[in-house]
Amino acid sequence: MSAPLHRQFLKSLAALLLCAAALQAQADDSSFTSTAGLTSTGGEEIYSQICQGCHMPQGQGAIGAGHYPKLAGNERLASWQYAALTVLGGRDGMPPFGLPADQVREIRTVHLSDAQIADVVNYVRSHFGNAYKDKVTAGQVAELPHPDHPQAP
Amino acid sequence: MSGAGYGLGFGLMSRRELFRMIGLTAGAAAMFQAMDSLGFAGESPYQGPIDLQGAPKGASVLILGAGMAGMTAAYELRNAGYKVQVLEYNGRAGGRNWSLRGGDSYTELGGLTQRCEFDKDLYINPGPWRIPYHHRGMLSYCKRLGVPLEAFVQVNYNAYLHSSRAFGGKPQRYREVKADYQGHVAELLAKATQQNALDAMVSKEDREKLLESLRGWGALDKDFTYGPSEASSDRRGYAKEPGGGLTARPVPSKPVGLSEVLDSGLWQGIPSGDSFDMQTALFQPVGGMGRVGEAFGRELGTLIRYNAKVTDIRQDEHGVTATYEDRNAPGTTFKASADWCLCTIPLPVLAEIPMNVGPDLSAAIRAVPYASAIKVGLQFKRRFWEEDEHIYGGISYTDLPITNIGYPNTGYHSGGKGVLLGAYIWGLNAMEFTSMTPQQRVQKALEYGSQIHPQYLKEFDNGVAVAWHRSPFTMGCYGMWSADARARHYDNLCQIDGRIALAGEHVSFLGGWQEGAVTSSLDAIGRLHQRAVAQGAKA
Repeated sequence: MSAPLHRQFLKSLAALLLCAAALQAQADDSSFTSTAGLTSTGGEEIYSQICQGCHMPQGQGAIGAGHYPKLAGNERLASWQYAALTVLGGRDGMPPFGLPADQVREIRTVHLSDAQIADVVNYVRSHFGNAYKDKVTAGQVAELPHPDHPQAP
Repeated sequence: MSGAGYGLGFGLMSRRELFRMIGLTAGAAAMFQAMDSLGFAGESPYQGPIDLQGAPKGASVLILGAGMAGMTAAYELRNAGYKVQVLEYNGRAGGRNWSLRGGDSYTELGGLTQRCEFDKDLYINPGPWRIPYHHRGMLSYCKRLGVPLEAFVQVNYNAYLHSSRAFGGKPQRYREVKADYQGHVAELLAKATQQNALDAMVSKEDREKLLESLRGWGALDKDFTYGPSEASSDRRGYAKEPGGGLTARPVPSKPVGLSEVLDSGLWQGIPSGDSFDMQTALFQPVGGMGRVGEAFGRELGTLIRYNAKVTDIRQDEHGVTATYEDRNAPGTTFKASADWCLCTIPLPVLAEIPMNVGPDLSAAIRAVPYASAIKVGLQFKRRFWEEDEHIYGGISYTDLPITNIGYPNTGYHSGGKGVLLGAYIWGLNAMEFTSMTPQQRVQKALEYGSQIHPQYLKEFDNGVAVAWHRSPFTMGCYGMWSADARARHYDNLCQIDGRIALAGEHVSFLGGWQEGAVTSSLDAIGRLHQRAVAQGAKA
């Protein structure tokens, strides 16, 4: 076979295998779900696109069979480390946002960079009636433990 | 819902990325193998009705949650002679087994209430919507409860695959994409075979068989090429379809070229019915998935205490006591006690309920994040997808955030209004949709969907949107197990802790599937029963 044809053949065969391998593993219809990272970096944008769904527009939280903690006047936010670790690793059913970008698909969460996490933590700690003066930087977030799921055994 | 899917975001894929991914193909295959060994592609272990003979006289079980897991347990334990009581947060049975119908109202976390305005008999399933033929536990309970089933169409060859970045944003018919992809691949493989490129892998005897099979599989002509022909049109459809009389002569259609097919990324949608969970036949209950939960609820009657919010779970050497609040009389608390407890409360809710269990189970309960997911139901004034586009049931897939348009697999050709699943969203897009008001979600689903069906804007009537992270009774769609969390916590989540066992889809390898709830429940009550019998014998 000619070299270009051979390449094209391999390309098609690989695409075929990729289809079979990648899509068989899905058990629902999310094969086209965007898992692209968030492009915005502002704390307010990140809050309104990701956090607000559960913690609500005014950071008031919500109560049902369980509850989403309110962020407005939440004393735990006195510790930026607590806030940043919660965003990084999740908590009590809340998805982790600190997984490496190539690992978020497994549990369908979203990757936030250290800078984005710093932005959203600073936003939450300075809004909804919170007025903490200390700001956290991307460098400080980077020093915290990040969730990093090892490969399957 | 369910599973361990990982998106490819095909709309974003460039040719170069495709090449890169080809290099990763072996990795993807290995990934599937790993997932297979983890059970994601596994079959239901359901082995027929459970045998719980010899229940100790007077033994009791408290069941928390009246979803599929809780009601399976209540039904079987009651039949086995146990004293059973079920506490349920909602005012209805079923949990995520649920259909929203005209006249229903639903208040999400945050307090926004939607009233469903669908016409009579029209519905949307905010949660699960299909039952594979091998989910034998679910099918068995449908049968025993007298819930009639009808076919769920997973693959409709006339539905669309759509990329906003290919073919000028024009949706393509599934049959065209599949036929063209398959035809081109078959042609390439045939040429490689004829040029002896595969001689090291294919014996001389197999060579002719391979070629013949490729001709049949790819609809190739006698020269093993794929092009406009009767054979290819018989797969992808005709430019002019055959008919009768003088105007009958068919005109073959022209396939799309290989490069365009590959660049479109639409090939990613071809295997949508190939995975074990999606293979024909699949079923749906007539009248909506919620019919199963409703039938269970009728069967169990007063065994279920509704509007009961569990606030505390205590066990000691004698039994288990749950404290609960009557949601209709806030502040009024009651206690329910039994010898044993089966707890099916979703993990994000359970994580916040005080419960005296050991550190291993406690850690496991907190180790599983719940997925963000959205479903939007849209009612239209007429069934234009049938009338204009000849799509009867099934699903169109798109790279737009809505990902799916699901057509009703029932009521074909009926003259009135119709309801579509207008969006089924995961990941970042789901989080964004969750942040919106229900009206905004419906509006967004309309805007995106109108890129595929322009009739949307003129024919729209009303809609409802359920964001699972706003669900007061689950606080998420379902448990997302990472391989790491699975390895460290799964067995601990399954183990009976004293007198308490957990069940639900989160305690299964069938994440998000109702079959996971049913089989985990049967597994748990089988083990509880053994303990009860052992203790009963001692007493």
